[in-house]
Amino acid sequence: MGTAAKDVIDVQQPNNLLLDKHVEYICAYENKKDDYEYVMTEYLRMSGIYWCITAMDLMGHLHKMTAEDIIKVVKKCQHECGGVSPSEGHDPHLLYTLSAVQILCTYDALDVVDVDGLVLYVSALQQEDGSFVGDMWGEVDTRFSFCALACLALLHRLDAVDVEKAIEFVLSCKNFDGGFGTKPGSESHAGQIYCCLGVLAITGRLHEVDADLLGWWLCERQLPSGGLNGRPEKLPDVCYSWWVLSSLAMIGKLHWIDRDKLVSFILASQDEETGGFADRPGDLVDPFHTLFGLAGQSLLGERKLKEINPVFCMPQEVINRLDVHVQLL
Amino acid sequence: MHGRLKVRTTAEQQELKRQERTQKLNKFQAGFNRASQKRLNKEYDKESLLITGQLLAANPDVSTLWNYRREIIQHLLDVKPKEEAQLLCSEEQEFLEACLRVNPKSYGVWHHRSWLLNKMPTPDWKTELQLCNKFLEYDERNFHCWDYRRFVVKQSGVSAEEELEFTSDKISSNFSNYSSWYYRSKLLPVVHPSPDGSGRAAEDVLLKEFQLVQNAFFTDPNDQSAWFYHRWLLGKGEQKLEVDCLYVSLDPPKIIVRLTKPVKVGSNGVALSVSVQGKQLSNVHWQNSASSSLYGSLWVSFNMMYATY
Repeated sequence: MGTAAKDVIDVQQPNNLLLDKHVEYICAYENKKDDYEYVMTEYLRMSGIYWCITAMDLMGHLHKMTAEDIIKVVKKCQHECGGVSPSEGHDPHLLYTLSAVQILCTYDALDVVDVDGLVLYVSALQQEDGSFVGDMWGEVDTRFSFCALACLALLHRLDAVDVEKAIEFVLSCKNFDGGFGTKPGSESHAGQIYCCLGVLAITGRLHEVDADLLGWWLCERQLPSGGLNGRPEKLPDVCYSWWVLSSLAMIGKLHWIDRDKLVSFILASQDEETGGFADRPGDLVDPFHTLFGLAGQSLLGERKLKEINPVFCMPQEVINRLDVHVQLL
Repeated sequence: MHGRLKVRTTAEQQELKRQERTQKLNKFQAGFNRASQKRLNKEYDKESLLITGQLLAANPDVSTLWNYRREIIQHLLDVKPKEEAQLLCSEEQEFLEACLRVNPKSYGVWHHRSWLLNKMPTPDWKTELQLCNKFLEYDERNFHCWDYRRFVVKQSGVSAEEELEFTSDKISSNFSNYSSWYYRSKLLPVVHPSPDGSGRAAEDVLLKEFQLVQNAFFTDPNDQSAWFYHRWLLGKGEQKLEVDCLYVSLDPPKIIVRLTKPVKVGSNGVALSVSVQGKQLSNVHWQNSASSSLYGSLWVSFNMMYATY
């Protein structure tokens, strides 16, 4: 009697980190500009670039990417309003404005864009209740609170928004389980939790979180296969190895996860033939899951990778170079 | 990007797939370029609706196309008489429902729908609530749908009692209903507020919930939602701000205070004052032991030699 828990069937292969294959995979991805996947994901290209270069940087192979071309693309995508679009011919949005800033910070090339314009664009998206909309069309989501504050923190321009109000809004999204949702009254979800904790870490307000309660909810994301899901009764997914893990890291509960089982799940999600990581063992790979698989491994102490910052999902050495500081419990 | 199984195919099958995809790709690019051209020319006509509709039905995450579609609809709403405007909106509702049947979890589709409902001359909120009921039947955990439902409830003034009733129905038909239990946690304190003004739900109501949730996990001990809800019911109230622990040293003069919760001590925060045998010390300054935040629960006095009565 009872419902069978949703999980994947126990898969054990591959069981070591295929670094060279992943480098190959990302390089090939960057070069396949006519590829179906590449073209059809043009609407998120800026984030795609950020996933690729961050993955390469973590592996110590950033030099294999064509920096000049990438920086040119970012510059072209800044619109008159100051915001950045995912690609040419698309409208600007906060999501891609953050990705652009992350890319330029990694390359130490912020001077190619109009930084004041970026700041103006981001600050204008704050609403009266402290929330942020994604663009002029008005969608409110705590993801956007994170995008805004992370962007401004990297630019050392948090003064441009009402930080207190931003915090107030994020806290109004706190739920009975200690987690956070998209808006006030929304169900807790690991992705939103990462975003809200990110805001609190940037602003030094992590004590407002019930770390024991949330830590329990987060570590309960781990399933028998070792993988993590995003909320109860869902399948495990490698990207949650990032959203959940970094959340645990921010509240000082990283040790509440079974590290070895999670590592084996992440490694099993690699594709031995093509390189890259998929959402779960046996599925098709993509750069998104490749970054988060590697990022998760870094957080879990994989020495072949650079240390990652749990708030920004960028190499810690980049964050250090920028002299940006965050609170971690 | 999620849930796509890697399937082994023959060279023949791969070639067929490649051709199919090239066709799809070309069609999409042609359509997108045409739409972009029309948008540049500020063309907000039937053809624009047709093209964006075809593209978005298959690619609902291309938000730029939704943006253009909103510009088209806004223009048409501005120029059409009321009945035609209302008709246009109903047709858009149907279009969106078709999109949702294919992609019930697209942020773009749900957001466009809420934008539309705010623009409609005469919105029918009952229909919107029915839509939510339908999609929650398909997938009780669809948080996009729950968020949309809360938007509809707010706009149309559906009572918290009615919504509480809805969660009861959902839970009685299937205990494993994390989203419903969660919604309940928000509705209970509104429908049955505790008389002490704490913001929590009334005690007697919480005890009834206790019964309900116990039934849930006795029926199915593996039902996670019940256990999380159970923990919430047992939860403690607000922690009072008090001195938890005090350390005093005379030589060198130093006081360390540990509080029950992190606060900001100082001019625009909490005031910590020290009295010795009834006489208050002034010029006592406090330093937060936690350097990464303005807030902390451990505060240390400094420059105590300058403190005076």
